[in-house]
Amino acid sequence: MTDVDIAGLGVWSEHFSNWDGFCAVLAGSAGTQSAALTPELIPPKERRRAPLAVKMAVEVMDQACRMAAVEPSEVATVFASGMGDMQITDYMCRTLATSPRMISPTKFHNSVHNASTGYWSIATHSHSPANAISGYSHSAAVAILEGAVQAVEEEVPVLVAVLEMAAPAPFKSVYDSDHPFSAALLLTPAGYHASPVASVRLGVASGAVDDPPLPTIHGVDLSNNFAARLLSLFTAIAQQGNATLQFPLSRNATLSLSIAAGHAVRTANA
Amino acid sequence: MRLAIGNYTATSAAGIGLAAMREAIGKRRSGLRRNDLEGCDLDTWIGRVDSLESVSLPSRLAHLYSRNNQLAWLGLQQDGMLDSLARLKEQLGQDRIGVIMGTSTSSIGRTEEAYTRLLPSERMRKEYCQPEVHNLHSPGLFVAEVSGITGPSLTISTACSSSAKVFASASRWISHGLVDAVLVGGIDSLCMSILYGFNSLELVSQNRCRPFDERRDGINIGEGCGYAILAREELIADAEFALLGYGESADAYHMSHPHPEGKGAVIAIDRALERSQLAADDIDYVNLHGTASQANDRIEAHALAQRFAESTLASSTKGWTGHALGAAGILEAVITLEALRHNLIPGTLNCEQPDPDFEFGVLMENVAMPVRNAMTNSFGFGGNNATLIFGQIND
Repeated sequence: MTDVDIAGLGVWSEHFSNWDGFCAVLAGSAGTQSAALTPELIPPKERRRAPLAVKMAVEVMDQACRMAAVEPSEVATVFASGMGDMQITDYMCRTLATSPRMISPTKFHNSVHNASTGYWSIATHSHSPANAISGYSHSAAVAILEGAVQAVEEEVPVLVAVLEMAAPAPFKSVYDSDHPFSAALLLTPAGYHASPVASVRLGVASGAVDDPPLPTIHGVDLSNNFAARLLSLFTAIAQQGNATLQFPLSRNATLSLSIAAGHAVRTANA
Repeated sequence: MRLAIGNYTATSAAGIGLAAMREAIGKRRSGLRRNDLEGCDLDTWIGRVDSLESVSLPSRLAHLYSRNNQLAWLGLQQDGMLDSLARLKEQLGQDRIGVIMGTSTSSIGRTEEAYTRLLPSERMRKEYCQPEVHNLHSPGLFVAEVSGITGPSLTISTACSSSAKVFASASRWISHGLVDAVLVGGIDSLCMSILYGFNSLELVSQNRCRPFDERRDGINIGEGCGYAILAREELIADAEFALLGYGESADAYHMSHPHPEGKGAVIAIDRALERSQLAADDIDYVNLHGTASQANDRIEAHALAQRFAESTLASSTKGWTGHALGAAGILEAVITLEALRHNLIPGTLNCEQPDPDFEFGVLMENVAMPVRNAMTNSFGFGGNNATLIFGQIND
């Protein structure tokens, strides 16, 4: 058993651009088209070079730290994605197929899976450990487990960010999702933060389960997005009740999350 | 918490399995060759694993076919690793073991190939429709499938520190009681993205890479694969070595250039020393990241000079293997463990005229001497650093 608190949350999609927006959509209001991502944390010069995936990650990471009122440079980071930055992979593979010597050096260095945590550490001047992982379709659950274990073992807050992009045409052969989604959770050792939004007990067991059903959100179809599987957890937190959710970690391992409501979410996103 | 190292193995251009690598190191025979990778016209040298293309996967694994998984498979057949895993599963239960792999580019070589033959609809041809291959967790999925381990699994991809960081995560998992043992490893295979990508950054040498030499002019891309079993000490009765410490850090400086003062590198080294409760003087050997790029070697020498006495023996082994990127961490962890086991410290192959401007001199020739504690460094793009310390268990 692993006990951690969730001190802050961040979330972004085409139809809601932060926690308040998500709660409004959950309550039945129509989502609005999210504005272009311009995460203020990244200095303008770097922001121009930052790929969309990095902006999606840094935006929600910043939201989570702000909600928790935790200094971004104090947190270790765990970034996770099953498919990675498919836009850059698509660019790389198309260029390699036609004119390999034309590869852009900037796009190449942005192609590393740890680009998001790299930009984050530069923007926040943080020397904290930065990780970038993948658990394929189970990346979100795997990242929460990895982040929680690190938070407890190292006694530090760990900022977990999860995302999947819209699939470029060739990738639709293996990952059929048209809609991007990113989310972040700031996990802390139990009792580390004075007013966490929720407390979570994690347990790992053998056996296969399906992901919990996603909330029905009018006009938004994130059902194929691996990262959006987190929305069941976010919904439970938004509803301020106690709940237990089970997520597959792999073909035969299951993560259970028992969520106890904490302090009401502060609307720090604005 | 110090953790025992069980069986380990490595496969690279320097040799398939430990015996071949040991012989190459002992005879100072480089595994580098002029670039002869099919489909790549760059004038450079590479560390290619011999005949990897002809390694065939069993039909039950056909859906996981990629060069990266061929290498993962070849590596798992060496040094009795599959037998060790079978015994470990018997001992602990398959669900009490975790899998943590490191990679920079996973099976992207297969994706590159799919893109050269897209259908007019822009979809992939049927033979390339392999969902468990075209993703970052492909190495973890493959190794879990082949080994039959059913505990938690993940793949770390932090560029060139990937398969050093697997030891840090595994250490936390075991210390936390999440699992009793972890199979850690790293796999990266030659692909066009990496060769042409590093070429675009003008980091690829047209010569054999010459780490720490004043004439060094870039890296040679290599491929490699390695594995190690990590477990609580009492679970591996005959363990000789332990993971004593790890240190992870970020440079917070630049996406593709290391911090000029080596700040992140020094922090990683300090964190590893602190965790292992050792002083720099206790380290008998340091296996360097030593890529042979202008910046890495200069900055790593500067970082070392801030902590280590000039008498500390340190070398880069990239002259044998090339830079295996996401697999460099595990390859060099295994080379470090081999130095502990066989009392032979590898020198820096291809370094003939050490850069006189460096504040720290590297070991050039192999040296036979007992090694109690040894360190290995891995530094990656995104300013991502990891340092590991291994030591003898018995006094």
